[in-house]
Amino acid sequence: MADNTTPEVPVRTGPTPTSTLATIRIAKNDRKRRPLPRISGKLLTGIIIVVVIALFGILAPFFVQDPRFSGNDALLPPGDGHILGTTKLGYDVFAQLAWGTRGSLFVGVVAGALALLLAILFGVLAGYFGGVVDEILTLLTNIMLVIPGLPLVMVIAAYVQNTEGLGPFARSSFLVAIVLGITGWAGSAVVLRATAKSLRMRDYVAASRVAGERPLRVIFVEILPNLVPLLAAQLIFGVIFAILGEAGLSYLGLGPTGSITLGTMLNDAQTGQAVGSQAWWWFIPPGALIALLGTGLSLINFAIDEIVNPKLRLAPQAARNQRKANREGRSVSENGAIA
Amino acid sequence: MVFYVRRILFYVITLWAAVSLNFLLPRLLPGDPAAIMLGKLRRANGGRPLSEETIRGITSMLGAEKGMTFWDQYIAYWGRILQGDLGISSTRYPAPVIELIGAALPWTVILVGVATVLSFVLGIVAGAWVGWKRGTWVDHLVPATTFLQSIPYFWLALVLVAVLSVQLGVLPIIGGYDVFDFPGGPEWSWAFFGSTVVHAILPAITIVISSVGGWLLGMRNMMVQTMSEDYVVTAEAKGLTPSRIRTRYAARNAVIPSLAGFGIALGFVVAGSIVTEQVFSYPGIGKLMIQSVQGLDYSLMQGVFLVITLAVLAANFLMEMIYGFIDPRVRHRG
Amino acid sequence: MATSRRKRLGMMFAAGAAALALTLTGCASNGEGGSGGSDRPLRVWSGSMTPINNNFNPFSVDTAAHFTFGPIYEPLFFFNQLSADPATGLIGDKYEYSEDGTVLTIKIKADQKWSDGTALTAKDVAFTFGYGPNKDPEMVSVEATDDTTVVLTYSVPKFTAASLILGSTWIIPEHIWKDIKDYTTETNPKPVGSGPYVLKSFSDAAYTVEANPEYRDGAPAVKTVQVIGIDSNQSSEDLLKTGKIDWVGQFIANPDAITKDGRISTLNQQQDPTTMLTCSSVELGCTGAQTDPAVRQAINVAIDRSAISDKAFAGLSGIASPSFALLPRDEKWLSSPDLAKSPQEPNITEADGILEAAGYTKGSDGFYGKDGKSFEIDLFSPDGWTDYNDAAKLISEQAAKAGIRINNRTVSEAEYWTPLANGNFQMALYGVTQSLVADPYSTYDRYFSTPATAKVGEQPVKGVNYARYSNPIVDAEVKVAAATEDEAIKKDAYAKIQTEIARDLPYIPVVLNASQAFFNTKDYTGWPSEKDLYAAPLPYLSTASAIVLTHLKPAK
Repeated sequence: MADNTTPEVPVRTGPTPTSTLATIRIAKNDRKRRPLPRISGKLLTGIIIVVVIALFGILAPFFVQDPRFSGNDALLPPGDGHILGTTKLGYDVFAQLAWGTRGSLFVGVVAGALALLLAILFGVLAGYFGGVVDEILTLLTNIMLVIPGLPLVMVIAAYVQNTEGLGPFARSSFLVAIVLGITGWAGSAVVLRATAKSLRMRDYVAASRVAGERPLRVIFVEILPNLVPLLAAQLIFGVIFAILGEAGLSYLGLGPTGSITLGTMLNDAQTGQAVGSQAWWWFIPPGALIALLGTGLSLINFAIDEIVNPKLRLAPQAARNQRKANREGRSVSENGAIA
Repeated sequence: MVFYVRRILFYVITLWAAVSLNFLLPRLLPGDPAAIMLGKLRRANGGRPLSEETIRGITSMLGAEKGMTFWDQYIAYWGRILQGDLGISSTRYPAPVIELIGAALPWTVILVGVATVLSFVLGIVAGAWVGWKRGTWVDHLVPATTFLQSIPYFWLALVLVAVLSVQLGVLPIIGGYDVFDFPGGPEWSWAFFGSTVVHAILPAITIVISSVGGWLLGMRNMMVQTMSEDYVVTAEAKGLTPSRIRTRYAARNAVIPSLAGFGIALGFVVAGSIVTEQVFSYPGIGKLMIQSVQGLDYSLMQGVFLVITLAVLAANFLMEMIYGFIDPRVRHRG
Repeated sequence: MATSRRKRLGMMFAAGAAALALTLTGCASNGEGGSGGSDRPLRVWSGSMTPINNNFNPFSVDTAAHFTFGPIYEPLFFFNQLSADPATGLIGDKYEYSEDGTVLTIKIKADQKWSDGTALTAKDVAFTFGYGPNKDPEMVSVEATDDTTVVLTYSVPKFTAASLILGSTWIIPEHIWKDIKDYTTETNPKPVGSGPYVLKSFSDAAYTVEANPEYRDGAPAVKTVQVIGIDSNQSSEDLLKTGKIDWVGQFIANPDAITKDGRISTLNQQQDPTTMLTCSSVELGCTGAQTDPAVRQAINVAIDRSAISDKAFAGLSGIASPSFALLPRDEKWLSSPDLAKSPQEPNITEADGILEAAGYTKGSDGFYGKDGKSFEIDLFSPDGWTDYNDAAKLISEQAAKAGIRINNRTVSEAEYWTPLANGNFQMALYGVTQSLVADPYSTYDRYFSTPATAKVGEQPVKGVNYARYSNPIVDAEVKVAAATEDEAIKKDAYAKIQTEIARDLPYIPVVLNASQAFFNTKDYTGWPSEKDLYAAPLPYLSTASAIVLTHLKPAK
């Protein structure tokens, strides 16, 4: 194995950053099989971005002004007292951003978790049981997969949000998260099914089946633990999907107007003519924060991908080693591989 | 042959499921869309009673038909669909939904089509290149594309309009063509064609920027994996030229899974185009969808949803057939 | 086209030389737009979204293209809602009521023609009043006594319906409409009207009208007008800024950015009151704390209208009057100067006093209530109506300071109108439509009288008294005012009504809504101004838009 090769980016010295639950699990899981791979630059960058934004969303709301305090002057540019200025109603943009981040993370995590749960239900069960169960579940998954997501979300949201008697719930971020969750699982299910199917054939899984273990126990004890990196990747994917989805829905006026999220902030800025008033401090930060959060999560996914699929990591390293060798005059052949 | 039969069967079932979903959604979800819709139509009609025909049209699409079993409603619904009758729009009263969709569809098909192909080609070429250059500084470019993918479509579009169209004035702000130069509407002329191209640039750029990263990443990863396959190593050992290895051996095989993912990615592009069309007042189907949702024009909303779903299905089907043609393994596996 | 721009383009879109060439041609042809001149069409956004409906049926009130009303079809007279002046004759020349108000005799101008060249006579007018939805059940007969005279006879006095009968009944040609049986589904794609413009071409992105050579005053100076569809205020603002369009009526928070280069001018009129509509009558089935007038009075003094105007309405809104008379237009109908303005600054002490006198006490949570339970009121506003949503946020916050709990709830438009009409709401932000003539009668009649309301659960048949307000004094005085043209009697009746509604506050006035207009004064002259408000310069305002168009001239 290539664990002793030079890592892509030199490992940074100093304290290791706080890592999210998912990545700790990946690392642990990894440890069982081989020595701990060094944290790549991508993973580190991703984790730092996500952790900083998550902490911002979790902690900052305790310290900032009430995000719906209109006593400030309207449309103040960034400056004293208001790091990011104020909105048309005099709301502090920084405070809104803190609460909005919390709101978006909430939508993302709830929707992502729900989607993951459904993906496990459809993907892992299909992959594990095979046969008719597989056929039916796969058919359902594939149908969900080809039906375009956003239009479906829009249609469902339009009906659900206009149901009489829902009260404030109709416009809550929880409902939006649920709608995004139940429409966003199909892609993950396909991936999970394929892996579960191959795991089923492994000897140790076959052994426990032959030993008469109940299917659910086999799934939970033998299969799911091996899927952890993949599950984490799918969860992250689901979170990104949901955060972007929420922003899109909000722009279309179908967002959780009852709560503050990055999407509703953008929608407020848009309808409040932030662009026309040249209030960039109101319009740019929420969009940039969404993009940054998405990037951080994608980077983590990237790193997970490299763990799950070692070729992605090893091949570039091999290529690099070879070039290094070429430079040092230890070339095997001009184009030959030494990996 | 088995492959084709299986796939065609799958698409027939999916088609049936999509049309049925369209039937079930307004009936299963809470609320009474048919009643709301009839109320809206009545208001659009100046508070006067609607014709029997209109009422039947609405109820068979949206449900709550009195004295009919669920099954009978389903049959009636299929009857309507097969006749191409999707009801009457309340926001565009009394225009039939099918006409509105017919006028909007070509715009979206062209915009989304061009943008998708552009983004696919760009992504594949760049991905192949980045994958080929694996282990160099180029690798660091790859994470940057995730940033592009994470930008909300509409936000990007609004920023692009503010900078390129309003500040610099180089590109048009709205529409599918220049309504000032062509007050009479679309016509068959080069000038008109030019106008549509100019107007499609910004929406297309928005879609391409937001979706190219996915292709690039997928292609790059496949390329990297393919490059370590034995046959590529063999080719290198034989001393074939790098360009030959790159195009004939690696890229060619690496692109196949990207083709397979084309259909799924199309769903995302469609989603993006809905939002983008709204920003640019692009006269496509996505904007129709948004207007119908905002105006609670359920007939139009259901109709557009159905058409979008069918279009995506058709594109997927086409891609799979091509894929099966290109990659014999797929044909024989099933 | 500057070379630097060309370069920039080249760098940006090196993707295809063809596309680049097309871009430049596109730009070049766009360049003509700014040059003015009489051959260039005046470009208008009247609020239509794309695709524009190909519908020019004047009976499709909500869905027909805007220019159907005014520029293509005309009413008999134009009532300028900005002034107290008498109506201006369009097709009509003079009108006269009989002593008791039941017979209306209309003289129309002679020698008029429809746009297809056919003569327009009193017969067409009589036909119009007897056609389809124009038929009033209270109408006894309609008769063209000669080529220019029409006599309308009613069973009840119609003094107060003048603006409806004469100002918003669109006159249609008999020779065409007599063959149209189902006017509800007719789309009338080739309209024949009497107005200053005729339809030239239509596409779902824009339609063009051109000067009507048969127009009674001669074809207007602006030869072609193009009405385009735009889907968002942002896009329209951008087009206005870049010189692509000449006339819009829309809300722009930062008008200076538009007007600073001197090409575009703006005019801001404030007319329609934005109110907090309350479901006010327990007898008619309303529930909630807002049914108590004391609570409404406390809210009335607790809210900070100046902050709402500054922040939610960008400082562009006007000051509302609890008399619901539009000032200064309706000055003569205002009974007391105390009723000219609703309080602009919050007065929490006064609110406390009102609530405590009515037996409310502040609970431990800081909110007022009775029997130790604090009350809460839901305030609806339709999603996406930004100014209303913002105002609701501010009201909720301000009321909380005075110990009144108002929950701000946004609902979709569909969930807004139906509950309002049915009375299933507690409080809602709501726009009262100002009367078209300089007389608040129609406001009192349609919004405050008992016949205009219904029990909770039912929709009012006639009128829009969604507040479920029922007050015998108001009802009686509305009847008095309807049956007379004597100003003194009317004034006395209005004074009594104003005292009642300003005390009971079924509609708590918030602000007068701003209606901003932006128009190109560099290339066109003759627009209305603060000094000469001959019509509201709003392109969506039917007859007014036609009046403005006929006043315009291309700048030399």
